[in-house]
Amino acid sequence: MWKRLLLIRGSELVALALLASIPLAVDNSYVLGLLTLLAIYGILLIGLDVTVGYLGQVNLAQAAFLGLGAYAAGLSVSLLGFGIFGALGVSLLVGLVLGGLLAFPALRLEGPQFALATLSFSALTVTALNEWESLTGGAQGLHVNRPDFFGLDVNAQGFYWLCLILLALVWMAMRNLLSSQWGRAFEALRDSPIATDAMGVGTFRHKVAGFALGSALGGLAGGLYAFNFEYLQPQTYVYDLMVILLLGVVLGGRKSLWGAFVGASLIALLPNLLSNWLLFEVISALGLTVALAAGVRGLMKKTAKPFQAIAPIIAMGLLVAGGFMVENTENWRKAIFALMLFAVVVGLPEGLMGFASRFLARLFRIAPPALPAPAGLNTVLTAKAADGKALLELRNLKRYFGGVKAVDGVSMTVRAGHVHGLIGPNGSGKSTAVNVISGLYAPTAGEVLLHGKTLPQGSLFKVARVGVSRTFQNLQLFGELTALDNVMVALKGVYRSPLPLVLLGLAQGEEKRAQAESLALLELVGLKDQARKQARDLTYGAQRFLEIARALARKPDLLILDEPAAGLAHPDVNNLVEIIKRIHQRGITIVLIEHHMDVVSELCDAVTVLDGGQVIAEGTPDEVKRDPKVIEAYLGVVSEAEAPGAIPSPA
Amino acid sequence: MLVVENLHAGYGTSEVLVGTSLEVKQGTVVALIGANGAGKTTTMRAISGMLKPTKGRVLLDGKPVQGQDASRIARLGLAHAPEGRKVFGPLSVEDNLLLGAYSRLPLFFGFRSKAAHELERVYDLFPRLRERRQQAAGTLSGGEQQMLAIGRALMAKPKVMLLDEPSMGLAPVIVQEVFNTIRRLKEAGITLLLVEQFAKSALEVADYAYVMERGCIAVEGSPAELHKNERVLAAYLG
Amino acid sequence: MESIIIAQMAVSGAFMGLVYALIAYGFQLTYATSKSINFGQGELVMVSAFFSLTLITVGLPYWLVVPGGLFFGAILGLFVERAGVRLALEQKSEGWILLTIIIGLFGFSAAENIWGRDDRPFPTPISSDSIQVFGVSITPLEISVAIGVLAVMGLIELFKRKTLLGKAFEAVSADRDAAELMGVSATRTIMLSYGLSGMVAAMAGILVSPITTVGPTMASALILKAFSVAVVAGLDSGFGVVLIGLFLGALESLASFYIGSGWREAPGLILLILALAVRPNGVFGKASIRKV
Repeated sequence: MWKRLLLIRGSELVALALLASIPLAVDNSYVLGLLTLLAIYGILLIGLDVTVGYLGQVNLAQAAFLGLGAYAAGLSVSLLGFGIFGALGVSLLVGLVLGGLLAFPALRLEGPQFALATLSFSALTVTALNEWESLTGGAQGLHVNRPDFFGLDVNAQGFYWLCLILLALVWMAMRNLLSSQWGRAFEALRDSPIATDAMGVGTFRHKVAGFALGSALGGLAGGLYAFNFEYLQPQTYVYDLMVILLLGVVLGGRKSLWGAFVGASLIALLPNLLSNWLLFEVISALGLTVALAAGVRGLMKKTAKPFQAIAPIIAMGLLVAGGFMVENTENWRKAIFALMLFAVVVGLPEGLMGFASRFLARLFRIAPPALPAPAGLNTVLTAKAADGKALLELRNLKRYFGGVKAVDGVSMTVRAGHVHGLIGPNGSGKSTAVNVISGLYAPTAGEVLLHGKTLPQGSLFKVARVGVSRTFQNLQLFGELTALDNVMVALKGVYRSPLPLVLLGLAQGEEKRAQAESLALLELVGLKDQARKQARDLTYGAQRFLEIARALARKPDLLILDEPAAGLAHPDVNNLVEIIKRIHQRGITIVLIEHHMDVVSELCDAVTVLDGGQVIAEGTPDEVKRDPKVIEAYLGVVSEAEAPGAIPSPA
Repeated sequence: MLVVENLHAGYGTSEVLVGTSLEVKQGTVVALIGANGAGKTTTMRAISGMLKPTKGRVLLDGKPVQGQDASRIARLGLAHAPEGRKVFGPLSVEDNLLLGAYSRLPLFFGFRSKAAHELERVYDLFPRLRERRQQAAGTLSGGEQQMLAIGRALMAKPKVMLLDEPSMGLAPVIVQEVFNTIRRLKEAGITLLLVEQFAKSALEVADYAYVMERGCIAVEGSPAELHKNERVLAAYLG
Repeated sequence: MESIIIAQMAVSGAFMGLVYALIAYGFQLTYATSKSINFGQGELVMVSAFFSLTLITVGLPYWLVVPGGLFFGAILGLFVERAGVRLALEQKSEGWILLTIIIGLFGFSAAENIWGRDDRPFPTPISSDSIQVFGVSITPLEISVAIGVLAVMGLIELFKRKTLLGKAFEAVSADRDAAELMGVSATRTIMLSYGLSGMVAAMAGILVSPITTVGPTMASALILKAFSVAVVAGLDSGFGVVLIGLFLGALESLASFYIGSGWREAPGLILLILALAVRPNGVFGKASIRKV
């Protein structure tokens, strides 16, 4: 525990002390300029990493936020007479507000559309900076005076220390934030937006918050940028810079503060690298060697596809050869960046720090901090009244897709404390029905009531908030998060600390409690020993159980299990039955969609049978099994044993 | 015609097939039955190349094809009518059928006339498809889509046809129709590997059958032999 | 008089709008097969235009320059697919966004150094003397642009609808796995779509160069508006791009007239962000149903 803390915090402190003391040892304005730029880029890239790394979206607007922040700082000094901190505050705010505004339309988009929206925003920004001449001076540029610091003139060294202190503060705050519930929510959002909503976390607010936060840091970096160079031009913030910033994040390594820092130092140094031919050749030869070694190793171990191994070698080879053929490498700046970035994206997608951290972890054998003991299940899932009152009611529910009547007038009542089976042939409308109940689809007509009150319609998030939780037929786990984190993301009723406390790292207590409660739920489904494993590395059966534990973390009144036994092997089906019984004992009402008739018979208090979007039978499992309509439509004419999955499947 | 030897395949870290072996002789209908998750569909996917096997061999007409792309295996004469039918929804019924013959038709012009004969045969087999030839495939009913999926596979004049869960999600009446179709395919001499949940009906049309459990073949034999096997009888045939 | 000027601005703008539509159509071609687009398409337009200009300078007659340029564009499109798109698609990642941007950047830098940073005129046999139609002057050059755009789009649509290979395009887009089972190689279909898309981009470059001149930055504004057109119309909308292209072309021409020429990019960009906010699948695009 202490060893870990010492290594991690220690390395951060040593790095900070080193950086801070360089200007004392070396009196060189050129070096100082580089260091200042490094600190500024550090802040900028940490911000960019929130969207690119944690939210997993290609964000092409960070250069624009740098520009907006820079102009905002410059203008608030020249027009409003603000001091240095006031001006930086304005930069931060401009980034935050505009980032939030851009996030709203960009919110519903993913992939290429998101990238296009941010690209358009960048272009629009440059246009505005260029054309709004009365304010920005247009293409002529804008001179900025670095304001003094409470009457003290800030010299280059002092300004550098200011940048460094801000970088350290940003670093600390982001570390606390990203290791809190917020960081987990960002990552959950990237892996499965649908499940994030269904777990009541809210993709909406987190996406906006994440993007606005990243943009605010862009703005802050812009403010520092303005006071560093004291001259601004719209042309600085275009496409090229954005590509260089992406190079920084990807090369350094995504989802890592150190990665952003390494990336920042590299892109701060890049221009110098190009101006010296010998240095350029040495570095590109080094790159070629790395690409060759990694490529050959990847091919031998079959971890890389041929393209992945060969393309970076070609790119770096071109770089080396180009150095000899071209007279002035400075002219080929963009092509050089392009080749480097290409080699990194293809050959080293996890970046330098991603690579190094695995290596370092092995070298130092840092154990992760110990987990607390699981909380008592009684405190996590308080027993609910299983009084048999109507908990969930569907009234003439309909959902059509075009002309297809997937659910066509279903009415049913689920009683509190019951396990209610929902069965029927493929395409009979079971899944659509639970998708309407849980808010994925809005109903075409009809009502859904919980505790006699109408459920919100068409919003997974809102339905999850009022006490309905679900699992998914096709697993929707947060693959890159650990099993424990998957549960913690969904955990209800523990996280109460306001954002400032989280940023200051003062929310550790509730983090421990969240871990204890989540472990209790993992224990319930038999996964306590695998809490640290990434969800995607769990076996298929374990993934199914993890989804149940995650759904329970919502502490729901109603739990919907959508084909939990699909694809499970025989022993796992038995485990599943045991788990559902345990959940049932806590008084949680369950709606169970299942094809395994014996599972349904064993667990369910009541069963509703759907066919063609309508209810064809209702009753106890034994009653519906004897119902001729059910035999005809679902169980099959032969006998019960002929029904699909009638055998506890020995897969 | 189709030989599968010791096939291993899976998704990610989980291995679903652990040494499946089976054989389909020319002109026969072979049924593959088993419980949910036993690996029947995975076997089909590994044979047709939708899933790359990690170990083992697949011989089509004596030539190994394992590890090749699905499109290449299809061109070598294997037609796979996949689970869930997978017709091309926005395209017309006729276009769906023409695409079924993609691997043996000219790509630009004259493909219609070259496919005319085969098209007529499929329309004769499924008159409903002729009625709806210009309709978008996505608007057909489930049963009609299944007919289209079978017809599309026939258009390729395949050496072997894989038919995965043709009765899935269909009303019992339509299921009967599907099995009648399979009987007619058998009479026409089509070599067929059939995966079915309705084991009893499948055994009625099949010449030979394999029972899958836990990713490999547990029992095999002619339908008569399987009917004598008490365990199979109890577990799958009721 | 005022109305004549407005009409004149709108009509000249609309002709440019057709070029945006053509480039946007190139995005649709690849989006249909692979749900990916080339973010460096603008550079592809520009490099193809430079290449065609070189062919002219070498002394090739115009009727040979066009097929030469188109061929070159197709090759570039294929290169983008191989180097930037295929691996990412296999890994089901969005790495292609970054990679196509990178390839574009490389192309830009290479063009700057090979052909220089200056804008150069692009000679054409088609006259640019204007003719009067209802008081609005139109040049044969503009008409040639319209004919060229519509002819290329028409031919490709004909190919997609009437040939078996074209139907294979639609099949891959409808269900990639099922298409593979029919013997349609999805990889080759995607390659072909990128080749066609590159050709379309080269055509756009050849058509627009006589009007805008050829230079490294000639396509940077063009491409943003093509993005707008593609997104506003919907990336799967077929001829919707023509309508939106005409509309946007006219709109920006009027905007630059009334607000100032520097602002001519603004309407397209704002329209794009708004369209994404209101109708993420575009005005003519199909809404998708979320599935779990």
